[in-house]
Amino acid sequence: MEVLNNFLGGTVTLFSDPVGILIFFGGVVGGMLFGAIPGVSMLTLAAILLPFTAHLSPEHGIMLFSVIYCTGVYGGAITAILFNIPGAPENAPTAFDGYPMTQKGQAGKAVGAAVMCSAIGGSVSCVIMMIATAPIADWAISAFGPPEIFALVFFGLAVAASVGAKTFWKGWLSILIGLMIAVVGLDPVGGIERYDFDMPYLLAGIHFIPMILGFFAVSEVFVQAEKKVTGAYKAPKLSVDFPSFRELWAHKIAVVRSIIIGFFCGILPGIGATLAAFMGYNEAVRWSKDRMEFGKGKLEGVISSETANNSATGAAMIPLLALGLPGGALTAMMVGVFQMHDMEPGPLVFINSPDLVWVVFAAMFFANVSIIFIGFLETKTIINLLRIPFQFLAPMILLLATVGAYAVRGLPIDVLVMFIAGVGGFFLRRSGYSVAGIVLGLILGKIGEQTFAQAMQMLHFEFSGYLERPIALGLLIAGFMTLLASVYGAFFKTQPVANKPAEETANT
Amino acid sequence: MLKKLLLSASVTAAATLLSAGPVFAACATDSLPGSLEGPGGYPERALTMIVPYGPAGGSGQVAQAMAEAVTELTKVSINRDHKPGGSGTVGMTAYMAAPADGYSVLEHIDDASSAHALDSGRPNPADDLIPLVTSQITFSQIYIRTEEDRFTDWDSFVEWVKAQGGKASIANVSKEGSMERVTMRFITDATGMEIQQISFDKGAPRYGALAGGQVDALFEQPGDVRNFLDAGKFKPILTILKESPSAFADVPNLTDAGLDFEPLLRFRGFYVHKDAPAERVEWLKWAFQKAYCEPSYQAYNESKFMTLIDSYRDTAGSQELITSTIGQYRDVYKAMGLEVK
Amino acid sequence: MSTKSAASHYVEAAIWLIVVAFLFLQTFNFNQEIEIYRYGASSWPRAILLLMAVAAIGQLIFNRTRASRYEMGEIAKAMDESPEESEGTNANTGLKWYLHTALLLALPFVYINLPKLLAGTNDVGSPELNRYKLIVAAIVVVVFMLLAWRNRVGAVLTLPVLFAAMLQDLGFYALAPAFILGVMFLMGERRAGWMGSVMLGIYGILLLLFVVILYVGLPTGYVRPFYDFGTWVVTVLQ
Repeated sequence: MEVLNNFLGGTVTLFSDPVGILIFFGGVVGGMLFGAIPGVSMLTLAAILLPFTAHLSPEHGIMLFSVIYCTGVYGGAITAILFNIPGAPENAPTAFDGYPMTQKGQAGKAVGAAVMCSAIGGSVSCVIMMIATAPIADWAISAFGPPEIFALVFFGLAVAASVGAKTFWKGWLSILIGLMIAVVGLDPVGGIERYDFDMPYLLAGIHFIPMILGFFAVSEVFVQAEKKVTGAYKAPKLSVDFPSFRELWAHKIAVVRSIIIGFFCGILPGIGATLAAFMGYNEAVRWSKDRMEFGKGKLEGVISSETANNSATGAAMIPLLALGLPGGALTAMMVGVFQMHDMEPGPLVFINSPDLVWVVFAAMFFANVSIIFIGFLETKTIINLLRIPFQFLAPMILLLATVGAYAVRGLPIDVLVMFIAGVGGFFLRRSGYSVAGIVLGLILGKIGEQTFAQAMQMLHFEFSGYLERPIALGLLIAGFMTLLASVYGAFFKTQPVANKPAEETANT
Repeated sequence: MLKKLLLSASVTAAATLLSAGPVFAACATDSLPGSLEGPGGYPERALTMIVPYGPAGGSGQVAQAMAEAVTELTKVSINRDHKPGGSGTVGMTAYMAAPADGYSVLEHIDDASSAHALDSGRPNPADDLIPLVTSQITFSQIYIRTEEDRFTDWDSFVEWVKAQGGKASIANVSKEGSMERVTMRFITDATGMEIQQISFDKGAPRYGALAGGQVDALFEQPGDVRNFLDAGKFKPILTILKESPSAFADVPNLTDAGLDFEPLLRFRGFYVHKDAPAERVEWLKWAFQKAYCEPSYQAYNESKFMTLIDSYRDTAGSQELITSTIGQYRDVYKAMGLEVK
Repeated sequence: MSTKSAASHYVEAAIWLIVVAFLFLQTFNFNQEIEIYRYGASSWPRAILLLMAVAAIGQLIFNRTRASRYEMGEIAKAMDESPEESEGTNANTGLKWYLHTALLLALPFVYINLPKLLAGTNDVGSPELNRYKLIVAAIVVVVFMLLAWRNRVGAVLTLPVLFAAMLQDLGFYALAPAFILGVMFLMGERRAGWMGSVMLGIYGILLLLFVVILYVGLPTGYVRPFYDFGTWVVTVLQ
């Protein structure tokens, strides 16, 4: 009852203030637009807006970012579906089936499903967030130390390798490339310089955002450009035929499964929505009767990925608000917003500014709900982007990607890295290696090495220490089981590895 | 309902205002002129401030506070350009590559001094750059959870750690040779205790590790964990200074704990190219030193526990601080057996 | 690729092993001890490299056994079937094309490294280095245009990399218009009026969005006169 009262209080505060309403709708539309414009993402918008939140009240600043977070995760699905450019890594699995659907002329259906499922996943996770933030946070902070997070990363990599690429070997090699790229820069224990080749800028390491922009946005532009140059370019077919309620209802189990998976992945610091989407997708494949259809334009693929990543948004707010631990790039920027107002997210926020917390919670809930209404309207507009001749769209995409890559750290080398990754992605797509696997290896590699080192320091360099940490042990065992299952699949089945959707993305 | 909410919001706002209110005490640069004409119309456009750390950390925040104070004072706007990475190396490299026309300034911390101490190929902030002002100087402390019952103060902590035979742990930063790691080395050498340091490169997970009981103690500066202190979650058990500042009068300092070493300080300041036109440098010195005493900057420093010890150094004072810091680190590194280039 | 030969499996494995060996040798450069961490800075990358070698050899053995167990080519077709290439759109796969593209892609790195060698200094403030940068930039652009004529796809791949390589020195504001025109031209657009207005449109939108409305400190370039141009654009717009 207290939750309901607080929620109503937050709602009243949110909608009784004209500036608040303006910012709310600005955030909803901005998140969707930036999520949906190829080459930029909600992270770009957030990075650009960060300095400006200093002029807003803390409530408005945090609210704006949380609204952008909700709608941006959805907005990224639109480009994933229409252009095979995931707006953010968490939309990558959406492209596995969403883009093939566009090619089959079912773009409207895929986008419609993404709209509905994002809204459902996000709203449900918001409700759980409101009820559970405090108790779950208390549990997670003491139960999830570095050993557990490392075990989770290992599990995540094992899962990702088995969904990633054309073969078992290529899947693992892709992940390993990502892990090696993550090594560049300062080591996470002693700050020792690794693989800098005497270039000071490489000491900053290679950031995953330019890599994502390069592998997905830029290399997609290259592939289309090649078709354009060789005269094989075909404009994608347009359709605004949305899925019927009956079609969605048929996937109710997938939705519920993804909500649960997404929520639990989202709550873990540093893992968040990306793994949520991959796991949601992978589980959908695993539980499905006709798994060979995945990756060829199956609606359930879009549904399970989009539900899971939006479900992770609400969950990601829990460690952020309750513990001050950001789960991803965007929540990390929210920490920046807090600090610009001389506040720290963490236990204090609940004590000092309960109003802020509940305004933010209410705003997130309504942002998710508004995805349904504004999302449909916006989609009908955005789908028309496909009508712009590609030679005009391409320089715009490339330059927006340039700004996006540069804005993260202000390093020109990030732009270079992005375009080299674009060229690399262009050739890798011909080879059966998985660019999604490389990106995931890069993101998780940094966390993985650091938490491994911390875990070993904490366990006094004895692997047997894991025996005393049941959660970590369970996750490690689950990771090894996944690994064994995929080894089995690779050696003893005559057909290629079944779960290989990334290959389709990589080759189309 | 609504009224109540609005009221509570305005009360919070008022309280924030009060706590961040004007500082009445005399300030270090009160004697400087209130305004100064730049040479030949300079600056005719916005300045760029390169910050070698992210916007959210201690450096990002001080850069913002100082940039705003300079703008308030001079009406010249400052664009902040964050170039994080490589423990400040990347931002420093980018700054050294920018044209030395007096339109770009650099924020940096004591890491630049320790980096130069280890490798003299790296720029020396006192020689290769001109310090405009050092605006934050602070000290470190050791923290434990307030609810901790295995030990409650420094003496019982040391005793407990020794009883664990090397299994006790403390969260620290992830850069060898940094102020934090060198200081921990001093402490373990002086007390003879063996404690496993756990390396965290980001602040939030480091604090979370102590709050969640993953580690037994935390090494940090008070301004960075002020919220945890105010909320009563963490408490300091050792101040790494020879004399206790009044705000931490009841926390033992190095002298009380019988630890005999020179404390290393964390300091943040602003710099300009040594080749920048001299008149422009003079104007920048005035602007940044005077801005230090702007009420908004002073309020910011106060909120970050930066007024507990004297946080201000002018150009000569900064050069002295940097030079002595470099010497101190060089001695330490040699004693630690590190290769000093 | 669907007729991937046995030799290509060996080549693929050999490339992997060479890369692994090179990176492994590099680990000795940072094989430092860390006081508080027993495994040091090089154990983690070495473990990954070891796994890479295992996976590369595993892939080779796997491919060879597969190939001998089934009729050569059949399994490869099943494995490598990709809708894209069966449509035959990739004319650009021959060795000659790859070499030509590699040549093009080397140009940005010529720009990055040659001025330093010519000037004999890496001191970024030196006017001599900046003069060499301008000269090399002009030469590289001309060579690019000559090569681009013969290999349009390779040029599309190279242009953005070249743009990025020059970004820090010459700045976003001066390079972006040329970049926009270049991309359009390479993609076959020839109508000058369209190109001009689309270029102005995109440049205008970007400046409006990122400079006027939201200040993102895009690189102004460090080399004069590009530095002056970049800061002039920013000053006018802000």
